[in-house]
Amino acid sequence: MQVNGQLALTVLMGLFLVAVAAWVARVENWRSYTPVAGGGGYGQEDSYVSNEKPSGVIRWLTTVDHKDIGLLYGAYALTAFVVGGLMVVVMRLELINPGQTLISNTFYNSLLTSHGITMLFLFGTPIIAAFANYLVPLLIDAEDMAFPRINAIAFWLLPPAALLIWAGFFPIGDIIPAQTAWTMYTPLSVGEGLGNQGNAGVDLFLLGLHLSGVATTMGAINFIATIFTERGDKVSWANLDIFSWTVLTQSGLILFAFPLLGSALVMLLFDRNFGTTFFAGEGGAMLWQHLFWFFGHPEVYVLVLPPMGIVSYVLPRFAGRRLFGFKFVVYSTLAIGVLSFGVWAHHMFATGMDPRLRASFMAVSLAIAIPSAVKTFNWITTMWNGRVRLTTPMLFCIGFVSNFIIGGVTGVFLASIPVDLVLHDTYYVVGHFHYVVMGAIAFAGFAGLYYWYPLYTGRMYQKTLGKMHFWLSMIGTNITFFAMILLGYGGMPRRYANYLPQFATLHRLATLGALILLVGQIIFVWNFVQSWLEAPKIKDGDPWDLKDSGLYTAEWDWFDRKLQTAIADGGEEADVVPDGGEEADVVPDGGQEPESDADE
Amino acid sequence: MGTEDAHDDHEHHLPAVEDWPRGFGEASWWPFVTAAGAAGVYVAAALYILGRGDTSLVSPLAGPAALVASIGLFLVGLYGWVYHAFVSTFWSREANPDSANKLRWGMLAFLGSELATFGALFGYYFYIRAGNWESIFVGIPDLTGSLVIANTTLLILSSVTLHFAHTAIRKDDRRKFLSWLVVTVLLGAVFIAGQIYEYYEFIIHEGFTLTSGFFASAFFGLTGLHGLHVSLGAVLLGVVLVRALAGQYSAERHVSVSTASMYWHFVDVVWIFLVVVLYVGAEVGV
Ligand code: HEM
Ligand SMILES: [Cu+2]
Repeated sequence: MQVNGQLALTVLMGLFLVAVAAWVARVENWRSYTPVAGGGGYGQEDSYVSNEKPSGVIRWLTTVDHKDIGLLYGAYALTAFVVGGLMVVVMRLELINPGQTLISNTFYNSLLTSHGITMLFLFGTPIIAAFANYLVPLLIDAEDMAFPRINAIAFWLLPPAALLIWAGFFPIGDIIPAQTAWTMYTPLSVGEGLGNQGNAGVDLFLLGLHLSGVATTMGAINFIATIFTERGDKVSWANLDIFSWTVLTQSGLILFAFPLLGSALVMLLFDRNFGTTFFAGEGGAMLWQHLFWFFGHPEVYVLVLPPMGIVSYVLPRFAGRRLFGFKFVVYSTLAIGVLSFGVWAHHMFATGMDPRLRASFMAVSLAIAIPSAVKTFNWITTMWNGRVRLTTPMLFCIGFVSNFIIGGVTGVFLASIPVDLVLHDTYYVVGHFHYVVMGAIAFAGFAGLYYWYPLYTGRMYQKTLGKMHFWLSMIGTNITFFAMILLGYGGMPRRYANYLPQFATLHRLATLGALILLVGQIIFVWNFVQSWLEAPKIKDGDPWDLKDSGLYTAEWDWFDRKLQTAIADGGEEADVVPDGGEEADVVPDGGQEPESDADE
Repeated sequence: MGTEDAHDDHEHHLPAVEDWPRGFGEASWWPFVTAAGAAGVYVAAALYILGRGDTSLVSPLAGPAALVASIGLFLVGLYGWVYHAFVSTFWSREANPDSANKLRWGMLAFLGSELATFGALFGYYFYIRAGNWESIFVGIPDLTGSLVIANTTLLILSSVTLHFAHTAIRKDDRRKFLSWLVVTVLLGAVFIAGQIYEYYEFIIHEGFTLTSGFFASAFFGLTGLHGLHVSLGAVLLGVVLVRALAGQYSAERHVSVSTASMYWHFVDVVWIFLVVVLYVGAEVGV
């Protein structure tokens, strides 16, 4: 059974890679027939032999343009999202019945491990990088990233990283996928004892993880340098937009969190292969947890801050008002950034650590809820009395806020030691963080994908399908993860392939929710691809009618100029407001488009 | 992909003056090549692991071979890229304070990440140091011999001489710049040789190796990581030296001198910290 599952997954992943390749190729062909606003880059006519950009696949392999690299990150992240999503669908199917039905327990563990790592490292971080690459230079009026080539290198390290992480699923000799769970706790992950984790599949997995961390760190260095030194003349710290603020803070977190994990992974690899004893001693298991969570907690904010930035950026456009309390949203972002390094041990309350230390970590963990709540209130207040337009991106923003409230409140409960001692390692924790990672982070990603869809495709998605996607996702998320919270209250431990019969109803509910989510995401992919290929082209540089409410921003101005030059027409200067806190009369006017625009 | 060599338009014989391939404008193959090389190193490590033991999946030579090939590819990519981006147009580019600024910020952020890289290992060391130390320390060779003192002095000196070189180029004093730079690179090389000698002494004569237990993990982990950094720093300084010998750098144009020295000073400071807590710290607490 295990082998069959493995084969099936391998084939599936192979199919997806092929599909993506075909898709990119298709986009490519299609591009060459349309001079304007191609697959998110700029038009390039067939007959015109550009000495600016090569054509075909080579264009993508050699690009150093931040928008192209943003698209590459996006394609990569969405592929990983599909892979990680299908993995969890198989797991949920197994969980329909209490006993072992569909896949072996070890294969379940493999899927569990890879699902977590795939979603966090291969979907979460890259999808954020996609938005940040595409948008930050446009928003801060920079020509490109500070180091365009390092930007390209950072991306190209990711595909091999994914292959190493998934290596165990491919039929290579007798290697099997890692089953350490995403936390890779020692001594299990050291491979000692009776388990099968001494298998080289775990080493490959660790190597891939390290490689993806190197790539992420390079990206973070690049964003820091870009935001510090490449801002246009009119973009000051005072009117820096909220999304760039969150990307900057996130990059700061990455800078200190990821390399530490990197070293810990290498130490683990040495323990496994060269007989060192980093994690072998009495306290070795605790040490791993300290190091892992010193990285791991900031990592969750690495994942959530830029999505918060997206929501803070998009939500006001459809509330008809500027973001309420902009400064406080920025301050709370910075506060979260600092505090997030002081709460890691809340993941270790049940380990028997020193109670005095434990209490102080509880205090900081409760404190970190405050800046998170500040943001939540700011979003709600922004909508209050606003002229709310329920477009698809707005729906996803509102969904974000509501799911984040549940995710956050359950987090505050977990941060309280006595409650955590009861709920630790149950499905409650799984429910908590999925409300945040799926309900909030992925929702913000969708909000961004829909909101900027015209920007990077030059077309508009299908509205009805978008709304269907939203409602299926919202309902699916809440059924799945609320069921998990209840399962946790009932005492169902996490990470098990089998369970006691009394949990069957709630588990089936969770599976039902997951299937609803699956249907929603299929609609999303359909809408996304079909509209990109076939929807009519946008002619208006302001597809969201932002000028009416005075909320027009730099990236749309850039888009508008792109359309204008495309139809060889002067194009008037639009009114752009910086998204920053201060009402400034000087405004950033969007990124510089390289020469190819003028080619037409 | 035709490789077009660019050697049609210049009297001086610099290789690869045009980026490869030509006519790509902003696009370039170098990042892809460099990334392939870097990722290849990881694949090589994977092959090495697969090639170990008696049930090895691949030949034990596959890993080392892949490593050599990948490093080669990586260096080619790096060379092409750096050469095109910084070297070939060195004098014709404008001395752009913005671009200098961003490189400094980039280096600063990188050094921040380095703190975390060392942090995990120091974290391990402090952790065992705070635990049952006496038993862990048993059977450790004498650490604070004259070799460490000499080596530390050399490294500190090299920071000083590098600083002299840096001030010299700021005053456009090329002769002094060059000589101090040579001295620095030499000191760095001697330091690395000293470290290798220390490893040799410990491993061969004292029988103190990577697998000798908790303290050994900390010792070889930290000194090994630091050694890698010094070596990288020496390579960076070597590149600067070669470019300096080729006549580059002036009072207005010496960004890479600044960034390379930032890195070197950082490595130096880490070493001082390391000597104090690891070498001296291990002796005093016993
Ligand atoms: C409002 C602030 C938050 C607080 C106070 C909080 C608190 C906690 C606590 C105490 C745990 C440990 C539970 C246990 O294992 O017993 C936990 C787990 C977790 N939280 Fe949060 N959380 C917060 C926000 C977030 C956010 C924003 C994210 C994601 C972006 C997140 C992701 C996670 C994850 C992934 C885990 C589980 C890690 C694992 O064991 O696999 N949390 N949270
Ligand atoms: Cu946490």
